[in-house]
Amino acid sequence: MHTGPVLDVCWSDDGSKVFTASCDKTAKMWDLNSNQAIQIAQEGVAYREVAVLCVEASPPSLNACHLSDTTVVEFPHDAPVKTIHWIKAPNYSCVMTGSWDKTLKFWDTRSSNPMMVLQLPERCYCADMIYPMAVVATAERGLIVYQLENQPSEFRRIESPLKHQHRCVAIFKDKQNKPTGFALGSIEGRVAIHYINPPNPAKDNFTFKCHRSNGTNTSAPQDIYAVNGIAFHPVHGTLATVGSDGRFSFWDKDARTKLKTSEQLDQPISACCFNHNGNIFAYASSYDWSKGHEFYNPQKKNYIFLRNAAEELKPRNKK
Amino acid sequence: MGRKKKKQLKPWCWYCNRDFDDEKILIQHQKAKHFKCHICHKKLYTGPGLAIHCMQVHKETIDAVPNAIPGRTDIELEIYGMEGIPEKDMDERRRLLEQKTQAESQKKKQQEDSDEYDDDDSAASTSFQPQPVQPQQGYIPPMAQPGLPPVPGAPGMPPGIPPLMPGVPPLMPGMPPVMPGMPPGLHHQRKYTQSFCGENIMMPMGGMMPPGPGIPPLMPGMPPGMPPPVPRPGIPPMTQAQAVSAPGILNRPPAPTATVPAPQPPVTKPLFPSAGQAQAAVQGPVGTDFKPLNSTPATTTEPPKPTFPAYTQSTASTTSTTNSTAAKPAASITSKPATLTTTSATSKLIHPDEDISLEERRAQLPKYQRNLPRPGQAPIGNPPVGPIGGMMPPQPGIPQQQGMRPPMPPHGQYGGHHQGMPGYLPGAMPPYGQGPPMVPPYQGGPPRPPMGMRPPVMSQGGRY
Repeated sequence: MHTGPVLDVCWSDDGSKVFTASCDKTAKMWDLNSNQAIQIAQEGVAYREVAVLCVEASPPSLNACHLSDTTVVEFPHDAPVKTIHWIKAPNYSCVMTGSWDKTLKFWDTRSSNPMMVLQLPERCYCADMIYPMAVVATAERGLIVYQLENQPSEFRRIESPLKHQHRCVAIFKDKQNKPTGFALGSIEGRVAIHYINPPNPAKDNFTFKCHRSNGTNTSAPQDIYAVNGIAFHPVHGTLATVGSDGRFSFWDKDARTKLKTSEQLDQPISACCFNHNGNIFAYASSYDWSKGHEFYNPQKKNYIFLRNAAEELKPRNKK
Repeated sequence: MGRKKKKQLKPWCWYCNRDFDDEKILIQHQKAKHFKCHICHKKLYTGPGLAIHCMQVHKETIDAVPNAIPGRTDIELEIYGMEGIPEKDMDERRRLLEQKTQAESQKKKQQEDSDEYDDDDSAASTSFQPQPVQPQQGYIPPMAQPGLPPVPGAPGMPPGIPPLMPGVPPLMPGMPPVMPGMPPGLHHQRKYTQSFCGENIMMPMGGMMPPGPGIPPLMPGMPPGMPPPVPRPGIPPMTQAQAVSAPGILNRPPAPTATVPAPQPPVTKPLFPSAGQAQAAVQGPVGTDFKPLNSTPATTTEPPKPTFPAYTQSTASTTSTTNSTAAKPAASITSKPATLTTTSATSKLIHPDEDISLEERRAQLPKYQRNLPRPGQAPIGNPPVGPIGGMMPPQPGIPQQQGMRPPMPPHGQYGGHHQGMPGYLPGAMPPYGQGPPMVPPYQGGPPRPPMGMRPPVMSQGGRY
């Protein structure tokens, strides 16, 4: 059980364990019996090999359903754990946790002592992992890429393409299914597409604006919302972004166009994810505190929506 | 650059600081972006012309030039192409360009070297240089010290250092005169280059900077030792140049923007450009479409000194508490549109002001604070919760705690329970490092039903 909000959740690759990262400064691994695993799926939490929806639930909820035999292993940090991912490499498997204590720790699930600790320049705000690459975005616009072969090591620190606080990051793959770059979202309604080793960086990397109000009307001030989550479609390679404005949008980064924007929900959308084959797009609607506590309305219900994503995310044909 | 003769070498737009190849194109740009009537889209020739048109034809007043960066929005100044630009702005621009070119040339030099050096430790080690880096930038202009960079010292240096050493002493004697000037600068460097052979070296280096003449002799000696160090520091793409005079030994090229960022192998780029929190400001009219903003011309990134034109202002956000020094636009690869810029600050970020993540903000709430001290007890929760039905298993343990547990009133069992707050010690738990505003503890505050915010997810029923 966690005693603080759960900030991130992740499956193990065989689906028998769930890892949770929480504000109580620990990450935990829960061993599930098969029944309960299925239940999670029904709740709409998309499951893939790695990270799932960032679930912000107060502790009991998520875990509660599944505890029966609880073999709990704790992965402690000195500050809330923001991200958690399960890494399955040919020669090792481990859990990777990123925390506000400025460390990135790797854990063998059998013990509560980390296998490895890497220092981050600042608090970890978001991370993503597709073997053999991992990206961590931190406070103060830090951005680091790690390579996970053999053992995790820092590969490169990158100057942030965005000028505002980093909020979410998602790795995308190239046609050969190898991770080749990532999309980084900030609080300023903007996403940067960044390739690790592009042939022509100035042309290949770009940013685009999203989650803003007031398209062309210049007379009224434009509201700029944070991008709360980014997810790539596992098959098409197109991406979805969700923002504090309560909308989600689908984009094709290769054609550099937008595919769709949804209607506005009445609460911000805080997280999103695709299921393993890309047929379902899940997104969660709940208050993300972007307007401070004054706007927090406890009466409003939080929701998770599942949407059929098979058609809407097909890439646009390049003209 | 060719034809020195030209006014600023290349024509540039006073309103938005963009560079153009040709004056004609510049004028077209101005007409379309700055002198276009937003009502009828008629293109005028000058700012005052636009103002007059709006008044006469539409009976509307306009007080700022559209799409201009803050500080350059004066509608009364009659500027046409390059004519009419106030002298001081011209000078400023010239200075900027100079700095930039110097930076570029240095950077080029370093770049070649950097290829060999790639990596190995780099990474983590180096740096953590939050600010220090910036100061250095400013330094470059005066000197082009290609060889000097050494100072940067990244950890990787050690190997390179020895060679350096010998070279240094010789210079020393020459330096003394210079030294005095350095102190301030030195200070910066020291911070930055951490491991660089200790202070001794620093000193000399510092001393060298200013005196251009003294340097050359050094240079030749350096190269052997230098190359390695050079790339290391990683060219902080900071375009900043915070005015700081910082004897920037680092000639870190303030990076000509565009290039930098990612593509570069030299890992060590210190990243953290002090978070430009530059405020959003200027955001162009939505255009949520992807716009490859590669336009770098933008250059906007360049202007190190002046407040970052595009990015300043802005309402909202981030006072960048941490980064004091001027936010720097951070040379981003694809720079923001910057150029787009709306008419001054007509946009705002829907985000709380402090530059902390939303989750951190939430963590500061009293409701979550209480958990902190507990950590020790947290483990309690573990025991298999038999019943679970969504009940907080930990509950059992909790009541002891302070009877505050309520926070998880599941399903209304505790209904209005949330008042649990009461017992809470105000201000007790320091938020995770963020000093800031602890939301005035519920004293009277709205009851926060703890669960309210979380996406139900699990819940069966849950609305947690």
